[in-house]
Amino acid sequence: MTRQRSPELEALLEQGKQIPAVPAAVRARVLTRARATAALAGSVRPPRSRLRPAMLHLAALVAATVFGMGIAGAVVLLRDRKTPAPPAEASASAQLALRPALSALAPPTPPTPLASAPLAPSAPEPHPSAKSASPRESYAAELELLRRAQSAYAGGDFSGSLVSLNEHARQFPSGRLAEEREALRVSCLRGLGRSSDARRAAASFALRFPHSVLLSRTTAAETSPSN
Amino acid sequence: MGYLRLVHSTSPTPANPDEDCVAAFDRELDYVFSTLRRLGAASSELEDLAHEIFVVLYGNWPEVDRSRPLRPYLFGIAFRIVAAHRRRRSREVCVAVPEPEDLAQSPELKLQARQSAALVTGALKQIPLPRRAVLIMHDLDEIPIRDIAETLSITRFGAYARLRKARLELRAAIQRQLLGVRT
Repeated sequence: MTRQRSPELEALLEQGKQIPAVPAAVRARVLTRARATAALAGSVRPPRSRLRPAMLHLAALVAATVFGMGIAGAVVLLRDRKTPAPPAEASASAQLALRPALSALAPPTPPTPLASAPLAPSAPEPHPSAKSASPRESYAAELELLRRAQSAYAGGDFSGSLVSLNEHARQFPSGRLAEEREALRVSCLRGLGRSSDARRAAASFALRFPHSVLLSRTTAAETSPSN
Repeated sequence: MGYLRLVHSTSPTPANPDEDCVAAFDRELDYVFSTLRRLGAASSELEDLAHEIFVVLYGNWPEVDRSRPLRPYLFGIAFRIVAAHRRRRSREVCVAVPEPEDLAQSPELKLQARQSAALVTGALKQIPLPRRAVLIMHDLDEIPIRDIAETLSITRFGAYARLRKARLELRAAIQRQLLGVRT
């Protein structure tokens, strides 16, 4: 900052910096009054340093209780919403009506029961370990199942791939990799030569993931000449 | 003063936080009075305003950071109390109270210094309080701009702007006073 002070002003300010001492009588009066105020305040209320931690602990306890109750309620609600599994056979109109709910809740079971027995999961309830696992663990489990299905598909073992896909659908009906799972299901059904199942799976995929980047792949598989 | 200072000097680290607060207030009482005077408080109001400062200091004593200088904090309290007092006083009927003689010791030997200090104090009174506060803190108390901005809850740019304008106003006020003295 530029200097705006002349030497005369500097000298005056130097004099102004002096702090005169308060007379002893005035000091004694002021300090006596201050001590009396401190004594009165100390007798009327506890010092804040003793009061505040107790209040903070109480507030933290209340907040933790409310937060815990909220979490418990959310868990119960989610469990209640996940238990009813959708019917194995759902018509296209029913799927259309349920489309908003499907993206969040419904496990993507195949549109029709598959001919081979192992492809249809007998117990639609999610795996117990999946519920208690942390998000990172469940994602790792999802990825592992999908990787197994993908490697089986790459090796030409379409039935084995479908087994892994159904296992994934059973454990993680609304998992984060559900979209990839359903796309791979269409390809597997195509590989098995089950064209009608593949078409139904592709239609179901289009209903459930209308904006998916994999949609062109499933549509292409449906309309490919090898079908 | 000597008696009370001696009492406190025998217990440098009081166990009682109340006593600790009173001791700190005692150490800075000269500064508190001087600051109140610079901010424009009348001599008859100094004791009451100083007590108001102590009440605020005592209420916030557990949260006061003892590792930092206490003066900027005390100045912030004094500034707010004087501003509130001025607002209160503006609604009341003012009664002129004659200012007693300056409290400085041995007036014969320090006549020049007293005159200079009185000149600065008189000139400061002509500067609006928000700018006067920045000027006092920076040019008289030598508090860094960063601490001034923090104490007065303003930006650094605002503090610099106030300081610049206050210096111009101080110079003009001193020149007016000198002219008035000479004529």
